[in-house]
This record gives sequence, C-alpha cells and structure tokens, in this order.
Amino acid sequence: MLQAIILVIAQVTVLLTVSPFLVGLIRKVKARLQLRRGASVFQPYADLAKLFRKQPVLSTTTSWIFTVTPYIVFASTLTAGLLVPTFISQNPMNFAGNIIALVYLLALGTFFLILAGLDAGSAFGGMGSSREAIVASLTEPAMILSIFAIALTNGSTNLSTIVHKTALLDGVATDPSPQLMALASLFLVALAETGRVPIDNPATHLELTMIHEAMILEYSGRYLALLEWAASLKLAVFLSLIANVFAPWGIATTAAPAAMMIGVLVYLAKTAALATVIGMIECMFAKLRLFRVTDLLGVAFILGLLGLLFFYTLRS
Amino acid sequence: MTEPGSCDNLLKAAFPVIVQGDAICGESSHFLVPKNLLPAITRYLHTQPSLRGRLTLIWTCDHRPVRDTYGLHYLFTLETSHHWVLLSSELAGNDRHFPSITPHVHAAKWYEREIRDMFGLIPEGHPDLRRLVRHEHWPKGTHPLRKDFPWNRVLGQQQGEYHFRRIEGEGVFEVPVGPIHAGIIESGHFRFSVAGEPIMQLELRHFWKHRGVEKLFEEQTLIGAVPLAERVSGDTTVGHSLAYCQAVETLLDLQVPRRARYLRALFLELERLYNHLGDIGAMCNDTAYALAHAHCGRMKERIMQLNDRLTGSRFLRNVIRVGGVTRNIENRQLTALVDELNRIQPDFSEVGAIIFANASLTDRLEATGVLDQQTAWDHAVMGVVGRASGIDCDLRRDRPFAAYDELPVNVALYRYGDVRARLRVRGDEIHESIRLIREIRAKIPDGPVANETSCSPKPGDWTLSAVEGWRGEILYMVMAGEDGRIHRCKVRDPSFVNWPAIQWAVPGNIIPDFPLINKSFNLSYAGNDL
Repeated sequence: MLQAIILVIAQVTVLLTVSPFLVGLIRKVKARLQLRRGASVFQPYADLAKLFRKQPVLSTTTSWIFTVTPYIVFASTLTAGLLVPTFISQNPMNFAGNIIALVYLLALGTFFLILAGLDAGSAFGGMGSSREAIVASLTEPAMILSIFAIALTNGSTNLSTIVHKTALLDGVATDPSPQLMALASLFLVALAETGRVPIDNPATHLELTMIHEAMILEYSGRYLALLEWAASLKLAVFLSLIANVFAPWGIATTAAPAAMMIGVLVYLAKTAALATVIGMIECMFAKLRLFRVTDLLGVAFILGLLGLLFFYTLRS
Repeated sequence: MTEPGSCDNLLKAAFPVIVQGDAICGESSHFLVPKNLLPAITRYLHTQPSLRGRLTLIWTCDHRPVRDTYGLHYLFTLETSHHWVLLSSELAGNDRHFPSITPHVHAAKWYEREIRDMFGLIPEGHPDLRRLVRHEHWPKGTHPLRKDFPWNRVLGQQQGEYHFRRIEGEGVFEVPVGPIHAGIIESGHFRFSVAGEPIMQLELRHFWKHRGVEKLFEEQTLIGAVPLAERVSGDTTVGHSLAYCQAVETLLDLQVPRRARYLRALFLELERLYNHLGDIGAMCNDTAYALAHAHCGRMKERIMQLNDRLTGSRFLRNVIRVGGVTRNIENRQLTALVDELNRIQPDFSEVGAIIFANASLTDRLEATGVLDQQTAWDHAVMGVVGRASGIDCDLRRDRPFAAYDELPVNVALYRYGDVRARLRVRGDEIHESIRLIREIRAKIPDGPVANETSCSPKPGDWTLSAVEGWRGEILYMVMAGEDGRIHRCKVRDPSFVNWPAIQWAVPGNIIPDFPLINKSFNLSYAGNDL
C-alpha cells in the first residue's frame, strides 16, 4: 500500500517536471535547425513561474465555466497521465481505468476547453472552439481504432498489462504489422491532439489561424499557467503512451530501486527522442490548410483500421 | 501602340472643348477640362481600347489665398505607351460639388472619398459616401487640407457610427479583427462576413492613425521636407524621399550629377532587397514554415548591416537629398558590396529552391488569394501585386528615373495572381536587384554626388514625380508656395491603391488563410494613412 502511494507520487512528480522540459526541447530543436540559438530548454519552467505570480484578468462576460475550466483541464490531463506507465510497467493506478478511460479523460479536458473558448465571447475563441471540435471529433475514432488494435494483440485494454507483457516479450505476436499501423495512426493523433504543426501552430501570433491558442486567448495569469502546463502534460502523456506501448524495453518491470532508476533514465531518453522528432517535423512541413486536416486525420483513421484488419488476418 | 501625339488627337477629336495645358512633368499630355465633362472624358480614356488609361492619381489643391478656387486633377497612365494624360479642372468660388467618376472608373472610389473628407468637396453620384479618413468621431466640418484649417488645431469629439456592409442570412456571422492585434501589426480593422470558415465578404476599415502628413508638408520648405518624406512609410525611406526630391529638383530646375543618379538607383535596389527578403520569410512563417523564415531573416539582416556600413543607417535614412545624395560611396565599398551580394545570392537561390520544392508549403500558396487580372485592372492595382496578376508595369522600365535610363530592367511578370505568384515576383526581383547592383558597380561614373542651386521656384508652380519603390509606384505632386515653401504636397503610396483590391482577393478563401493573403500583399498602413 505504502509502496503504491509512493509510486503514484513519483509518477505525478515525473510527469509534472518532465512535461515543460519536453516543450522546451521541441523549441530548442526547432531553433537549432533554423540556425538560431534559441531559448534555454528550461525556459517553459520560468514562463510557468512567471504566469503563476501574475494576477489573472477576467472578462466581465465570462461565467463560472471560464474559471473552472483550467482546473478541470489540468486535473483530467494529470489523471490521464496516471493511467499511462512512465518509468515502471506495473502502474499503481492501473486498477482505476483502462486505455478507454484515458481517451475520454483527455476528451473531458477538450470539451471544457471548447466551452471556455465560447464562454469568453470573443470572435477568436468561438473560431478556435469550432475548429477544435472538428479536430477532436476526427481524432477520437482514429485513436480508438488504433488502441483496439493494440489491445487485441495484447489481449487486454489495461495499459499496464499491455506494457508489462510487451516489455517481457510475453505472448507477443511475431508479426508487428498491427502495432506499426497503430503506431503511425497514434502518432498523427498525437500531433493533432497536442496542437503541433502540421495541424496547428503553437508559435503563431495570428489569431485567425489558431486552434488551441485561440481557445485560450482570453486567459491570463495562473489560469493561463495551468492551461499551458496541462497542454505540456498532454504532450508528455502522448509521448509516454507511444514510447511505452510500442517500445517499452528498459522500463522497470519490478519495483526494485535500481530497475526504477534505469526506468526513469530510459523514459527521459525515449520521450526526449520523440520530442526531437516532433521538432524536426515542425521544421520540415508547413501547416496544413484547415480543411486538409480532415484528410490527414482520415489517414490516421484508416491506419488504425488497417491495424485491426491485420490483427484478424494474421490470427487466422 | 498609341503614340503620344495620336492620343492627344484622339482626345481632342472626341472632346473639342478641352484645352491643352502647360504642366511640367516629363512625358505627358495636359488638358484643361470643364468639370461637367469629367465623367465622360475619364470614361473615354479608361475604356477606349486604343488608350486603356489606368487611373494613377487624383488630387485636389486649395489655391487660396492666391485665387479662390479648388483645382481637381486626374492622372491616367496609358496602358500601351505608358504616357501620362493629366486632366485638370477647377471649382470656383463657393462651388463645392464635382461630378464623381467612380461609376465609370472604379479605381477612383477611395480618392474621391478622401477628397470629400480632406477638402469638403462633394463627389456627386459617388455610390459610397461614407467617411474614409475622417472617422466618425471627427467633428462635422473638419476638412484639414483646406487652407483655412490651422495645422495645430485641436479637434473635439463627436458620436457617430460607421455602417459596414452587411450580409444577412442563416449561419452568416461577422468576425471583427483589429485594429488591435495579437502580434506586432499596425492598426487596421478587417470585418469578415463568414459562413463557417469560408469568407463571403471582407470590408476594410483603415485610417486609425491619421498623422496629417500632407498638412505638415505645407509647414515645411521645399529643401527641408526630405526627413518628413522619409517617414511617410518607414520601410520605404528611399522610395519616398527619392520621389519627393525628384519633384523638388524639377521645380528648382536642378540637374542631378550622374554618379548621384547611379547611387540613388543603388539605394532603391538595396531597399527592395531587404524588404523582399523579409516578405518572403514572413509569408513562409504565416504557413508555420519557420525554417525559410529564419533563413530569409538572416539574409535580410545581412543586407541591413550592409546598409548600415554603407550609409550609417539600417533603414537608409538621410541618404537622399535635394540635388543628389548626402554621401559618396567609394568604388572599393561598391566592390565589397557586390562581393557580399555574390555570397548572398547562391544562399538565397538555395532557400528559394527549398521553398518551391516543399509540397506542403506549395499546397498552402497555390490558388490562395487569387486576384485575377480583370479585377486588378479595374482597381488600377500595380507594383508587386499587379505584376503577380499580369499587370505589366514597372516605372523603372516604363518611365525611367534616376539611372534607370542606362540600366535596363527585366520585369518579373506572372499571371495567376495567387499568393505563390506574389512570392515568385519577389523572388525574381531579388535576383534582378542583385544583377542591377552589379551593373551599377560596372557602369558608375566618377564625379560629384550633389549639385546646389540658389534659384527658387515661382509660387504656384507644380510638378509630379514617380518612383518604383519596392511595393510599387510612389507618386508625389509638389506645388511651390511663397519663399521656397510648399503650398501643397500630395503623397501617394502604392498601398492606398492596392488596399481596396485585397477585398476582392479574399472571398471564397477560408479565414485561416487570410493572414497569408494579407502578408503576400504586405501593404503599408502608415503609407496609406497619411
């Protein structure tokens, strides 16, 4: 029991501390690829500290939804993060929910963000909300399909079981095609859900082109800090999911201190590598035209579907 | 091809009442026209297939205290010969009405609204008489360019409402953007009517920061007003100061030494280089393709540092003066400049190749914000935007100034009128500017860089001058006053003409593409809002 509590606290600490670093790392990679020096990878921590000290400004047209949303988004994202194994495969919170709970915990945050975007009554918030609704409704089926492909090949919807079995190479199918399809699908979903290029541009100042940034345009002070932190947490959740579901090796499979130390280091290396890949993608592509986002997410859906089909054809 | 003489004969044959005038502004024909004939004659000039006159400028001048009249002047550029046709008319005494030519010549619509605001003269028959420059809070009867309006008068406030054109229907809503933006952008208001993401209509509302530039010119001397001209639009320092100085030199009958004319062309091309490089980068940045933005920004910075080394100013301030240029550039400095540009050019070619080879970027640029040739012609669009829509005009070739009579320019021309065409025009012009600078280095003669004069022009003399700045045609009309002062100075930045055209490039596109379209036009708010 005590061990479980300590592990939960460790997991929360790792997620909260690593997530701003990942955002800083993506920015740094982008800057270096553009021959710029770029801000320190620890800049996001300083930004968060600054925002938490600032007094928030609230529009008079806002309702309780606007002030409660940052807390809901932050809490739901963090809870979702507790369901994903990070450095130890047997997650202490695995009894609380499976992979489907994870999807809908993230969707809960998105839903409230959409409401908050509308709540402030500015023209841009509404545009951001309507765009986010399109993106969210298209990522959800793609994500569910790819997750089913993984769950079926591992015989469980519990993330800890999936990761644990894969890490120990226990009962893993010889042909990894379903996993590869699911990986490609989930990667596209991750780019869309975390608002990265080519779906959204987190660095833009142009209100008319924003998706995620438009919804949070009216936020300031600690509310903005919570939302920024939640956004980086969401990024960390997706990167952990991809890293540990598809390549869990190195993760601690027992609660031994030495194994866990190695687990933390390997986890950092894997998520940093994925963040670098995202930074490189952001330098290689222009943002898609808004109406082409549906095409890209359609591809993600088909990839997830192919993963499922491969599973059934390979089994028989 | 219409010869200048035949154009005069055509006009005189069609309208026997008109009288030849005596204006001094290079290759041009000048006619004095009774005001009731203005709509008919401008329509003839604009639509006659052998003339095809493009409206280039309309300006008004309050002649008080010399005589109690307002002068109205309409300048057309003939499409084939690039010859200027200037029509002048006068409103005498208490006559405050003149016939609007907008129903026939669409491009006149902002000019006539501006004249109404600044002079209180009413264009009768104008389809849209809402205020343009004078926002609704300006008190009734405020017409700053009238001679009886002191430049330092403090205005009161009044209430008023501007009525935007509205589209109504199920699912149609308005998106107001600006004048305060999230980024570092000048103040302009854009009112979109949208059905979902697709834009049905865009209406501009600019002129938020009226500075009274034309009024301030009237407080200056002819020689001393160069710094003011430099500051009309900060990114077009050389273009504006050169156009102004050329007008003053014509009035003073002052010859500019050949070396100075070459150096003026050099500065103009340097200004074009740094702005075009910045624009190409900024357009890529608006599609979130930050790589090209970073590299173009790097090259722009190198050009601006070159500017600084050559002239002491990154923005080329204080380099053009009446009679020449303020400082000589040594031949060895010119050689070093050409060497540096020789290093930048392959660098830019590489970035250009990356930009045009990137499929995701091309998908954003192609078929976005199309301004077709007919619409561009109707709005008298010119400059970079015009050349991307098949309007073949470049003053450096058509009406050579500075040293361009000895430096033939290859004009970049594209027909598609989309964002990509505007990007391509800029890319081609960067290469052309570097080629021109090499040619300037090869051909530049030795000699003095400025001439002086002691003569002063007769009050009431006026002239026109035109310069192809990096955005397009910059026009200045300068009229001399008493004691070497300025009686009236009309400034026309290309932005004033091209801004309304953006409203027609946008419908049918989606809202997230508007910033990209706007950036591809990259018009000046300050040069527009004088």
